Amino acid sequence: MPIDEKLLEILACPKCKGDIKLKEDESGLVCETCKLVYPIKDEIPIMLLEEAKSFGETK
Amino acid sequence: MRLLITGVSGFIGSSIAKKLIQEGYEIIGIDSFLDNYPKKIKENNIRELLKNKRFNFIEGNILSLNIGKILDQVDGVFHQSAIPGVRASWGINFNQYTEHNVNGTQVLLEASKNKEIRKFVNASSSSVYGDVNELPISETTPTLPISPYGVTKLAGENLANLYFKGYCIPTISLRYFTVYGPRQRPDMAFHKIITAIILGREIEIYGNGEQTRDFTFIDDAVEANLKAFLNGKDGEVYNVGGGSRVKLNQAIRIIEEISGKKAKLKYVDSHKGDAKHTYADISKGKKDFGYSPEIDIYEGLKRQFEWLNDNLDIYR
Repeated sequence: MPIDEKLLEILACPKCKGDIKLKEDESGLVCETCKLVYPIKDEIPIMLLEEAKSFGETK
Repeated sequence: MRLLITGVSGFIGSSIAKKLIQEGYEIIGIDSFLDNYPKKIKENNIRELLKNKRFNFIEGNILSLNIGKILDQVDGVFHQSAIPGVRASWGINFNQYTEHNVNGTQVLLEASKNKEIRKFVNASSSSVYGDVNELPISETTPTLPISPYGVTKLAGENLANLYFKGYCIPTISLRYFTVYGPRQRPDMAFHKIITAIILGREIEIYGNGEQTRDFTFIDDAVEANLKAFLNGKDGEVYNVGGGSRVKLNQAIRIIEEISGKKAKLKYVDSHKGDAKHTYADISKGKKDFGYSPEIDIYEGLKRQFEWLNDNLDIYR
């Protein structure tokens, strides 16, 4: 089951409070401004800075 | 109707969520899995909820989430997130209590300004009263907490009241009196006593066991939340008690009777911050929103014992 679209609308980057977008493979939420990816585990968005990975780490 | 529950994976938060889902509400639940007890216990609390399409969960901290965006889409708030526990609030970790119990509450209230929120139900605690000479304790009894934890819960309550007066946020604070039942936090007395009895281990009892508590069964506390949300008066505080006053030693005897086993008790010095006696006057909640606890201590302990006996592995 993919992550709920309504939930995506209300999420923001915990660091800059800016918009985030779903990664193509739906494995995380991307903040382009902060260059961070917040993981999605078992369809749960983990919106914690300490859990976020920079773009480099996720490649 | 969509509702926000903070601290949704905790003992009371998850129980409120379960009830609200049953009642047909849609829930957004937030929890940052604070490490006051193991994450796997909290995950287990919401395991069934996660299967429901009307339950949406965000792992995050209200201090860093863009909470205003979330509040735009909800009709009510049940603010349950906090660092709990009287004893652990003494010492060097007090900053965690102020961070979550005071700052967290303020951030949520601040973000609630100019939102269309029908009710903001704030979880408070009987610990705001401290040691009281006259029982039962009514909402007009002076608030003189005797623990740092109680100080933070009182601050949260005062903030809720300030934001009601200053910004018309329809807040209500519920002062919980020793809530127990299935999924009770593992650091709480009944959980520890029942576990010790099941495993045949010794259990430390703080003080002589003659202290009395107004124990509130979880289903009654949940019912108080729902009723306060629907019919509570904005800007008010309400006691949420179980309707009877029981000595800890009496409660232990009941658990022994239910389990058919004798508890191995070791009485040790009581802790700073533990009130000697609590007993709530619940007439205000009864009058304003029909609060009437239904589960007595025997039935409540029976349900907690049976649940814990079946689910002990989660806690080991």
